[in-house]
Amino acid sequence: MLKIKLLFTALFFLLHAGIALAQQKYTLSGTISDAENGETMIGATISVKDLSGVGSACNEYGYYAITLEEGKYTIVVNYISYSTQEQVIELNKNIVMDFKLSPDTKISVEVIVSAEQEDDNLRNTEIGVEKIDIKEVEKLPVIFGEKDILKTIQLLPGVKSAGEGNSGFFVRGGSADQNLIILDEAPVYNASHLLGFFSTFNSDALKDVTIIKGNPPAQYGGRLSSVLDVKMKEGNNQKYNVTGGIGLISSRLSIEGPIQKDKSSFIVSGRRTYADIFLKATEDFKDNKLYFYDLNAKANYRINEKNRIFISGYFGKDVLGLGDDFKTDWGNATATLRWNNIVSPKLFSNTSLLFSNYDFNIKISGNVNDFNINSNIKDWNLKQEFSHFINESNTLKYGFNIIHHQITPTRFEGTISSSDKKSRYSLENSAFVNNTMRLNKRLNLDYGLRFSMYNILGGNTYNIFENSIKTDSILLANGAFGKSFYNIEPRFQFSYLINKSSSIKGGYARNTQHLHLLSNSTSSTPSDQWIGNSYNIKPEIADQVSLGYFKNFKENNYQLSVETYYKNLQNQVDYINGADIITSPDLESELLYGKGRAYGLELLLKKTKGKLTGWLGYTLSRTERKIDGINYNNWYVARQDRTHDLSLVAMYQLTKRWSLSGIFVYNTGNAVTFPSGKYNIEGNTVFYYTERNGYRMPAYHRMDLGATYSRPHKKKYESSWNFSLYNVYGRENAYTITFEDDPNDPSRTRVIQTALFRWVPSVTYNFKF
Amino acid sequence: MKKILAILASVILLTACEKEINIDLNNADPKIVIEGAVSNAAGPYYVRVSKTVNFSAGNEVSPITGAIVSISDNLGNTETLIEASPGLYATNSTTGVPGRTYNLSVSAEGEVYIASSTMPLQVALDSLIFLPFLGPGGVNVYVTIPMFTDPQDFGNNYRFILTVNNVTDDSYIIANDNSTNGAANRRPIFSPYALIESADSVQVEMRCLDRASYDYFYTLSQIAGNGPGGGTTPSNPPNNISGNALGIFSAYTTQTKKQQVP
Repeated sequence: MLKIKLLFTALFFLLHAGIALAQQKYTLSGTISDAENGETMIGATISVKDLSGVGSACNEYGYYAITLEEGKYTIVVNYISYSTQEQVIELNKNIVMDFKLSPDTKISVEVIVSAEQEDDNLRNTEIGVEKIDIKEVEKLPVIFGEKDILKTIQLLPGVKSAGEGNSGFFVRGGSADQNLIILDEAPVYNASHLLGFFSTFNSDALKDVTIIKGNPPAQYGGRLSSVLDVKMKEGNNQKYNVTGGIGLISSRLSIEGPIQKDKSSFIVSGRRTYADIFLKATEDFKDNKLYFYDLNAKANYRINEKNRIFISGYFGKDVLGLGDDFKTDWGNATATLRWNNIVSPKLFSNTSLLFSNYDFNIKISGNVNDFNINSNIKDWNLKQEFSHFINESNTLKYGFNIIHHQITPTRFEGTISSSDKKSRYSLENSAFVNNTMRLNKRLNLDYGLRFSMYNILGGNTYNIFENSIKTDSILLANGAFGKSFYNIEPRFQFSYLINKSSSIKGGYARNTQHLHLLSNSTSSTPSDQWIGNSYNIKPEIADQVSLGYFKNFKENNYQLSVETYYKNLQNQVDYINGADIITSPDLESELLYGKGRAYGLELLLKKTKGKLTGWLGYTLSRTERKIDGINYNNWYVARQDRTHDLSLVAMYQLTKRWSLSGIFVYNTGNAVTFPSGKYNIEGNTVFYYTERNGYRMPAYHRMDLGATYSRPHKKKYESSWNFSLYNVYGRENAYTITFEDDPNDPSRTRVIQTALFRWVPSVTYNFKF
Repeated sequence: MKKILAILASVILLTACEKEINIDLNNADPKIVIEGAVSNAAGPYYVRVSKTVNFSAGNEVSPITGAIVSISDNLGNTETLIEASPGLYATNSTTGVPGRTYNLSVSAEGEVYIASSTMPLQVALDSLIFLPFLGPGGVNVYVTIPMFTDPQDFGNNYRFILTVNNVTDDSYIIANDNSTNGAANRRPIFSPYALIESADSVQVEMRCLDRASYDYFYTLSQIAGNGPGGGTTPSNPPNNISGNALGIFSAYTTQTKKQQVP
């Protein structure tokens, strides 16, 4: 503990070193928001025209602060695709000034193009970070016409799809559970609907989506591979709006508006699929249920200049049922209560209280008995974060996070079963400090420390296993503290501007993960279950080093980035061969442990302006695991290893009314285990396997096209038609390959390939008024 | 569960299409496979010794002839088996008695393989009950509940072999008492490949197995569940035979009930 204290003290000294020299200085602060709907602008930049290289960016609540010596300055405010504002100020006291920016297109006056904002991608230290433009997502063709941010991020280098049409994703060789998916700070444990074909995110309700591929600043933690930070819209505080869409599979509707103009607003957004309505129409499936729905709601209220509160919630559920006898449902619920407080112009505080619940149920009813299988995770989470705008070159963030987990594992229960299922309780706490520092005009640094703790709490019995055999057992009384884990996670990143159009960036991060998803399946199913650290399971640890070269050319019209990474993984968890995941008395007897490594090269060329926009992404990578008890304890390539992964995304504004879009993807097939021989047991063919993941699925490629027609506005009513065609050239991409006896000729075996989708056309009607 | 999900997935994915393809699979060196069983039914009991063949080969068993196979029990009875047909070795005097431990020794191609299995005490199968269940397509199908009471002692494992209208289903249906110890069974058995309708004749063979045999057949059942929902990563099932031989040596009790669905 002493060591940790020393580290933090040293860090604080380092941070405050430059401050003592300050002369008479004043702070300009405020919020930057959209003039039309009042949404605050995350990442909008504010710079001082008179002082080259001096500026600041809004935090995630649209708050900025910049501290300068007394004087007269021209302040420039920028946000991508919004008109730039300039304001002359006389800084002789602390000033609070809010800015409202209007979208570019509607401003006829001269737009000042500022290099400061446009080459921000070169200057900031962010490496392996991509922001998703929600407006862009709307234009891209997508399966079933259901726009989906999780499918858009899969088109970025380093992010791979979990399967055909699937919203699950893998980042830089990590498994699906190593992504931290947060919606307004609340973790979402299962981000997919209908076996992964849809994500839980209704993009109508979203404001900002950022993915960080393994080098997050210290305020983020808890997962190894990535952070997907999703923020909901705050709601228009200027006027009422209704937006919606009618598609083939689902419809959605959002209503937003001011509660008090300029002061408070709300948004409610819902979505429901109606595949079950088609089922009703069929004789065969009319008693079956198959649907999901989502509800997002958020409200915010500005109490006064210094205090603002937000309440947001998400509720989503999937229901699958066969008649009255079989029903399975699962869903997430999250709730966030946030309080923004401007303690002083330089110090911004956010306090969040979060609740997150994930439920999974299967119910089988019979005449004499009922069976059910269920699991549940319930989190209470308190987060305190300070943004401290120390001076023009340092922005410090520090805070802590306390999470109480209650995890109820998946177990088989029935009217007559003698299950001794009990929840496990634990505390996951962390403290962090992170500084973003502009060292000089060329060099920017971002460094911090995260200290994470995990305590097993009492109320359950924990068994200790060695090679699947129980060697000891620990009974923890209610209220007792069990085993605790402490981890220090250093984070460091830099960017160095080589010249006006290019920079180098690098970073190192250690991430630890205390919750682990156990999955014995080759694709994500709702029966996958979460388990915390225990007397057998240690925290997973990843160390990642990244290095990148960034270049902008043609007046920042094109952005190129080349990034490489190497990641080392410790304490990875997997099931033993033939693990019994439903009935074994303690799942921990079915686990194996090992390590992993992943490395690769990612290329991204983006065109950000003009009639034609889009990007070309390419990843060359390798991902391996070594788990004692699998593959004769040798290294093997992980399932998600894909040597080549290419995506081409293009959007073209044809006329004022028509825009076209297209996607092409190509990737090496997944690493899979195929038989190398066969034999006979009891007259049935059994396959003989020699190595784990020694084969490849066939390469995957596909092209999708889309077109959007925006109808002329009628008064306030705007509408558009979106047409898309998934898998234009109808390639039968292998979804599964199975081996079986030929039913027509028992003397031979055959290989069957199943392809899911060929030519999926869809049409969606979107409206807004 | 996995199967039901798979069925539901295929309902959604009406567009899915299947076709037979050719894959160039590696050839592996042939590996020895030993499959032996002793039950409480009358002998002879058989041990089959064979080799794996390449995937592209036919399904005929590749026998290992001339092996020396013996079975002994914990009371000191021992017997060397006679090769009844190529690769198939038969007992003459061994009797299967619940509670005894049987040891198998196979000497073939210069290696000796041994295995051991204890025949559990028999749990009585009383009768069969059929419950209607609304199956896919709105047709009433039946699931079968084998009526038996699990003993108080923990660690009972069961395997069921379902025969509908004299056609034996080859799915691996297995159960244990992990969550239902000591209780009267209420769990139905079901195979999507052997749907039961009214007036069908249903026969259930119930076997009581030891843990190693349970693990073996459980793993086979998991691998077989490969479908649109995705199956487990396949592996060679864990077994009780030394020397990395494939297969299983299992001592089990067996009893059969046959009833007609009302």
